[in-house]
Amino acid sequence: MGRSDCDETMGRGSDCDETMGRLSLYLDRELSDDEVGEVKVHLQSCPPCEQVFDFQAELKRLVRKECCTDDAPARLRAWVRKLAVENTEAAK
Amino acid sequence: MVVLGIAMDGEFSLFERHIDALYRSALRLTRKPEDAEDLVQETYLRAYRYRRKFQPGTNEKAWLFTIMTNLFRNRLRQRRAPEDPLDEPGTDFFIYDQLRREGMPVHLMSPEEIVVDRGFGDEVKRALEELPMPMRMVVMLVDVEDFSYKEAAAILGVKIGTVMSRLHRGRRALQKRLWEYSGRPRPSIAVGGHA
Repeated sequence: MGRSDCDETMGRGSDCDETMGRLSLYLDRELSDDEVGEVKVHLQSCPPCEQVFDFQAELKRLVRKECCTDDAPARLRAWVRKLAVENTEAAK
Repeated sequence: MVVLGIAMDGEFSLFERHIDALYRSALRLTRKPEDAEDLVQETYLRAYRYRRKFQPGTNEKAWLFTIMTNLFRNRLRQRRAPEDPLDEPGTDFFIYDQLRREGMPVHLMSPEEIVVDRGFGDEVKRALEELPMPMRMVVMLVDVEDFSYKEAAAILGVKIGTVMSRLHRGRRALQKRLWEYSGRPRPSIAVGGHA
């Protein structure tokens, strides 16, 4: 992971460890506003950690993009539409 | 106007608008188009049957996914297929770690060119479908369908800590498979440490 880079270039800060430990939570938007601010400040000042962040963020986008390519078949779509219409009429 | 998730005035219903998300997730769970269609149909039948339990204004996508994942898990139990656990200790940065170990210029490489641009078509989907079921469900809900940890926990009926643990192990296993698909050598040493 990026910490070895931080070790070499930044003198291994505990901030690097903390940021790497929070990186997935940050990418998943699971941190508080204060925590987000702390991570952002560190990433802006630490290129090695920012590099890990960029890579992981792109990987997350890639997984989503590649797994969102299957649309429901027309037959299934029509079946669900029919069900919705039937239930709409039944609810009237 | 929308009442109880049903379309009025010719609009798409709240439920219908999630059909693509449900179908692609059903595909990842069942791995077979015909089984996925069947699972989605049953999900919608239940959704309409129990629509009075759905509260308009709440998250209908999460409600539909709760129904679908419960249905799917019931099917698994009936077939007695175990929800196999997989212990994958280490960090969420498997691919990044491997590239670093190989001395690759990571700052010049994107995950896309490493994983996708190698002549494969569906390697990410395949890698997801090969994950053990508990991890597959969590990665699918959080990474593909963008549910929060809290929502994923509610959908699956587990604690948030369990979601986080499965997500961590699932991502790591997913990256491990993508790494293998990319044609790069298998890791010769344990990964996850970075000192």
